[in-house]
Amino acid sequence: MTDHETGAGATTTGGAAPVLSMEGITKAFGDNVANDHIDLDLRRGEVHGLLGENGAGKSTLMKILYGLYRADSGRILLDGEPANIHNPNDAVSAGIGMVHQHFMLVPTLTVAENVVLGAEPSRGVLLDHDQAQRAVTELSDRYGLKVDPKARVGDLSVGLQQRVEVLKALYRDARILVLDEPTAVLTPQETEDLFEVLRGFVDQGLSIILITHKLGELLGVSDRITVIRDGKVVDTVQAADTDERQLATLMVGREVVLQVERSPAEPGDIRLDARGLEVLGVTGAPAVRGIDLQVRSGEILAVAGVDGNGQVELAEALAGIRPVAAGTVHVDGRDVTGLSAGARSDHGVAYIPEDRGGKGLVSEFTLAENFVLKRYDQAPYATRGWLRGSEISRYALERIKAFDVRPANEQATAASLSGGNQQKAIVARELDGDPAVLIANQPTRGVDVGAIEFIHRQLLAQRDRGAAILMISLELDEIHQLADRIVVMFGGRIMGEVAAEGATDEQLGLWMAGRDGENEQ
Amino acid sequence: MTAQLQAIGRALIFPAIAIILAFAVGAVVIVATGNNVIAAYGALLSGGFGSFQSLGRTIGNATPLIFTGLAVAVPFRAGLFNIGGEGQLFIGAIAGVAVGLLLPGPGPLVIIAAIVAAGLGGWLWGAIPGLLKVFGAHEVITTIMLNFVAINLAYWLARNPLAGEGLVPGTNFVPDPVRILRLSSGLGAAHYGFVLGIVAAIVAYLLIWRTTKGYEIRAVGLAPGAARYAGMSVAANGFLAIALGGMFAGFGGGLEALGTFGKVSVPFVSNLGFNGIGVALLGRNHPAGVVVGALFFGGLAAGAQQMQFATGVPLDLSDVLLAIVLLFVTATKLVELLIGRRARSLEAGTKLEGGLAG
Amino acid sequence: MSPEEISALLASAVRNATPLAFAALGGMFSERSGVINIGLEGMMLGSAFAGVAGAHFSGSTVIGLLVALAVGLLLGLLHAAATITFEADQIISGTAINLLAVGATGFLMVQLFGSGGTSPRIDRFASIAIPGLSDIPIIGPPFFNQSALVYLLYLLVPVCFYVLFRTPFGLRLRAVGEVPEALDVAGVSVVRMRYTGVGLSGMLAGLGGAFLSMSLLSAFTENMTGGRGFIALAALIFGRWSPVGAFAAAGLFGLAQAYVFSGPGLAIPQEFVEMFPYLLVIIALVGFGGRAIPPAALGKPYRPE
Repeated sequence: MTDHETGAGATTTGGAAPVLSMEGITKAFGDNVANDHIDLDLRRGEVHGLLGENGAGKSTLMKILYGLYRADSGRILLDGEPANIHNPNDAVSAGIGMVHQHFMLVPTLTVAENVVLGAEPSRGVLLDHDQAQRAVTELSDRYGLKVDPKARVGDLSVGLQQRVEVLKALYRDARILVLDEPTAVLTPQETEDLFEVLRGFVDQGLSIILITHKLGELLGVSDRITVIRDGKVVDTVQAADTDERQLATLMVGREVVLQVERSPAEPGDIRLDARGLEVLGVTGAPAVRGIDLQVRSGEILAVAGVDGNGQVELAEALAGIRPVAAGTVHVDGRDVTGLSAGARSDHGVAYIPEDRGGKGLVSEFTLAENFVLKRYDQAPYATRGWLRGSEISRYALERIKAFDVRPANEQATAASLSGGNQQKAIVARELDGDPAVLIANQPTRGVDVGAIEFIHRQLLAQRDRGAAILMISLELDEIHQLADRIVVMFGGRIMGEVAAEGATDEQLGLWMAGRDGENEQ
Repeated sequence: MTAQLQAIGRALIFPAIAIILAFAVGAVVIVATGNNVIAAYGALLSGGFGSFQSLGRTIGNATPLIFTGLAVAVPFRAGLFNIGGEGQLFIGAIAGVAVGLLLPGPGPLVIIAAIVAAGLGGWLWGAIPGLLKVFGAHEVITTIMLNFVAINLAYWLARNPLAGEGLVPGTNFVPDPVRILRLSSGLGAAHYGFVLGIVAAIVAYLLIWRTTKGYEIRAVGLAPGAARYAGMSVAANGFLAIALGGMFAGFGGGLEALGTFGKVSVPFVSNLGFNGIGVALLGRNHPAGVVVGALFFGGLAAGAQQMQFATGVPLDLSDVLLAIVLLFVTATKLVELLIGRRARSLEAGTKLEGGLAG
Repeated sequence: MSPEEISALLASAVRNATPLAFAALGGMFSERSGVINIGLEGMMLGSAFAGVAGAHFSGSTVIGLLVALAVGLLLGLLHAAATITFEADQIISGTAINLLAVGATGFLMVQLFGSGGTSPRIDRFASIAIPGLSDIPIIGPPFFNQSALVYLLYLLVPVCFYVLFRTPFGLRLRAVGEVPEALDVAGVSVVRMRYTGVGLSGMLAGLGGAFLSMSLLSAFTENMTGGRGFIALAALIFGRWSPVGAFAAAGLFGLAQAYVFSGPGLAIPQEFVEMFPYLLVIIALVGFGGRAIPPAALGKPYRPE
């Protein structure tokens, strides 16, 4: 870990022992090492940004800090003294307050009730509602977080609900405040307000850890930034000494592991044509805000970008799983905008989803049953409503062999396969029938190296065969290896498009951070 | 083949352990009340399976339970919990008896019509909660409520438009040609409804595991996200599954009315629907398991009477045993603790996890 | 109807409503904490028997009542242990408890009293007239000339209201049934809250059962609850899981029951009146008159990651 300090005492925070120090924190869930010997320290009055992609390990680290998880090894020091944090109560007593990404608020209760939950003021046996409201108002005024204590939380806007979450932490006398992806659900104005408030907190003596994957915001408000990738700390830098490009590269780039042979692209006709696409996300907020893109036969268009900028929603809308709020989608000239996923499948659209266990496979079905997920009611797999087990098995075995899915047992349940083999199975299923358009949504995420190479080869083979492939990836080197053209998404829009040949990580990183050359998004 | 046997073996572990544990507890109770365990359990066993007479009683008891067990097991495959078997059975019973009483014509034809009517009635009574679910009402609550609506409706029909002339409140007996045949004189009260029960179980199996519709139902129940991706309708398949469940229960009611009783009197039967839940649970929500579970329940009830007669141990003990079995089968963590193994993979089919508000 | 008839009808309604209200209040504590309890029927039945047995063998009705409460609590804790600690399915646990109660009471009837059917009689809680209030024309006798248990219910409703809405315990209980994670991160034990909620439901259902066998009647009869546990559930849901609502709904259903047996002939047959509570619940669930929305975490086992 390197610490780019410029001179002694140059920072306004410095001095005595850091108010919080996490040393050598390691935590594994089975085979998955979420935190790998992580060191992090927080100085008094500092705003320390914690940057990393989804799944990098930030949340796990903070849950350990808050006592929700226990680290396998490592220790936590508060003001230089070792602290034993076994549960949230310990964390709260130690002055650590957490503002969760997914609010832990009870919608049917009022603001005051939510804030005091667990530490309610009482008069005898009764809850002292007045005192609770007064406490909330007092905190509200002191920290500049205006909210009505008597309002029902379920009626509040997301931004106000977040204030309640913050008030909860403040009510318990937090000295260290951890905010987990606080701006994920806020409008730009609400984000500004939040950062104002955070600056106010620092003046009041709090120290803050800010977890996010949004680079631009961090630079605006943090003093130092620690970047985490794959469970390890990549670097800790002074905010003043770095910029978005460097941060993006630190956060997303990896060493190039494999090189797959690739012949130059010979793009033909446009096979996938999306115009003016607008798609709403899970929360109802727009995730895709007007996108045009075309993919031609025989080319791979990679969609780069930091996780959470609308890529998943774009892919789902193109595949037909998520409805399109506005715009059109054409496949081979045919308008498929109103068609369901199943119907689009009939028109040659194949989709490799992001989350294997959830959307692509039925875990408890056998491999054979999973292979016919999109064609179970068609000949020869079914006749007049009856499934033909032997035909299904035959087909499944053929696919298994073609894609080297292991174990080669079509009667094994999907759940019994490794992640890589599950993904191979999905790829095997989707690539059958020579699809016209293939939408791959992070096709190699969490997959072992051998399977990655195999899947890459398959994608290239499909592309050489004339399919139009749209691939969403969070990994720059995967993009460099496979893409013919690259577009970068930020905030639901396309920031820029470039041919793969001339694309630099710097340019891509800028776009990924929402910078469009001179203009900020 | 061995893989399948292994799978069956694994599926049977929880129920088997539950039964053993329950009988152990029962033994303690028997001893504590000053009775002889061997004598009591011996009578229990012989009363259930010890003679043709006993077998006949067991089969007679088991018949409606196969249907109410299927009524739970089939919707379960779509991820729904049908607790309305009792009501669906009552509707089926009264529908079947109504047709049996009112439809003129040769016996065999009337029987068929009556059974069809019973199934149809049950179907409708299952379709109602299926439809209500689309409007946001959770089927656990609606099916419980509809049970009582159905029972009262059936009783009103039995005491008013369909009322008979006898002293006992309820309908008349359906004409003899409409009664369902006994299996054979040796097997006592058991009738061909049992055979139809086996047929129903086979049909349920084929439907769920061998048809495209069944494929959809299972996909929707196991992975709604993947099912939607494949273009399946979660709502439509759920509706179908619960209506089918109601249909099975309706058949069960019709057969019980036409076979065992010959009429619907007031009161009629009790708890066949709720016991169907237990049967389905023991049978791991699989049609074959349902048949075995039904025979177990039926044998226990028949045996309990013998046990009381021979040793004086009250037959209510069988209810206690059943309750303990059910608790053990579903309290999987307890069994895990007792047999010291993390057996998560064996748990399939023992609980509803989705919650009621969603 | 004449004033005497109205009075008699109301008196009958109060007596019918009381066990329903007790059980509904009990169900409220359980379901507000997130645990479905369809075993109210069994808890009522078990306690009804326990109360009579306790009174019979101790000679004291009050001791009998305490025994009833204890058994209700025990059955409640059984449901809690099964569903919370051992992760049993909540519906099946409730069903099993109902079955257990039927079996156990039948078994013990024979063991303790020699035969099934009806137990020996006990001294029941007789009616006590509250001076002054019971003299009010028409409504005096029905509401204020009842047994002590009824008066207990009158007290219990506002107490439950206060506990649920004005104490820290009640706040936490409501929270744990909606968003248990919120309590977990605040350092309060979800498990302990739910055990308390379900235990209380057993005790309150026990009061309901005790009323049946020790006040309404003076003996235990097999299966005497006759589905009241389910009507109580209906009252709870129709009353939107609130103490006053559940009480009012129980009163409504009690009135309907009373009307069936002693009211002047309406065009509506008895069976349809009996359907009434259940149909009301279904209508409430679907949304006429404001949708009845259960606590958000109801039925979902809590598994912290």
